[in-house]
Amino acid sequence: MARIDRARRKLIGAVVSLLAGVFFLGRFLRPTVRQKKTLLTAERAAIPNHGALVYKEARVAVIREAEEIYALDLVCTHLGCTVSVTPRGLVCPCHGSVFDRRGNVLRGPADRPLARHAVELRGEQVVVLL
Amino acid sequence: MIKEFLKHLFPRVVLKSNLKITYTFCLGGLAFTSFLLLVASGLPMLFYYQPSPEKAFDSILFLESSVWGGRYLRSLHRLASHCFLVLLFLHTLRVILTGAYRKPRELNWLIGFTLLGLAIFAAYTGYLLPMDQLSLWATQTGMELVNSIFVGGTALGILVPDGVGQPMSLLRFYILHVVFAPASLLLLSFLHFYRIRKDKGALPYL
Repeated sequence: MARIDRARRKLIGAVVSLLAGVFFLGRFLRPTVRQKKTLLTAERAAIPNHGALVYKEARVAVIREAEEIYALDLVCTHLGCTVSVTPRGLVCPCHGSVFDRRGNVLRGPADRPLARHAVELRGEQVVVLL
Repeated sequence: MIKEFLKHLFPRVVLKSNLKITYTFCLGGLAFTSFLLLVASGLPMLFYYQPSPEKAFDSILFLESSVWGGRYLRSLHRLASHCFLVLLFLHTLRVILTGAYRKPRELNWLIGFTLLGLAIFAAYTGYLLPMDQLSLWATQTGMELVNSIFVGGTALGILVPDGVGQPMSLLRFYILHVVFAPASLLLLSFLHFYRIRKDKGALPYL
């Protein structure tokens, strides 16, 4: 049997596997880091105590209970209508779900509490993150 | 000396009868292959693992959720470690059943036995690293076992100076797992293969 020189074939194989290795290692070394986006910024002093700032467009209410500040997502957990903020609580105009000031369900048909957004205090600014 | 050592890693002549697969089933070679797989899958994970009790588990979750191929690599590492131990066990069984530990291969038997111990040690230290409930309590149990044997207390003082799952202990397990165990496994493996050449192959025993 004739001896076949496979040097070039081996070189091509080595180069291809090297490139593939570098490519895969590169993908492995670049993780998908989830960066939080700023949804909105509010003045801390502008939020009334035991009251709320309502952002209709962003569908978010920033609520203050004494020292605690939190942001409620105003999307109803039933079918996604925007709930209205009233002194009694949060009421959904579509099917009449009622939530309390902390977002817990008082009356159905919604069965899960309202979602909360992460809130960060930066000096006198209140930043709601998405 | 090094030149001669390297020369003996690769045989000049191989007897055809020595390559009979049904005699050894290449169990040692397969075990070494899984060791190489362990190194290949373990090295990339070093880029993400954080050896501190607060961050260890989170870094594993991050590796599995946000890193391309992270979950695959970790699964591969885990599976390869299982294969490594099983293959080593079968290899040891084969050596015992064929009487390969006898003269003139006593030294290689001792080296092999040390390798087996090192492999178990590597697996044991690696088990704690994810720092989930299973690994923490498994290591706790293992350490109690060590404590019950002769000079176990001293070994415990070296391995876990501040208790299982505490910062210094985790760091020690980590270093033992990623540096000490693989390095000595590799070194002794080469010595193991060198001795096979020196003993003129695997056959015949009988």
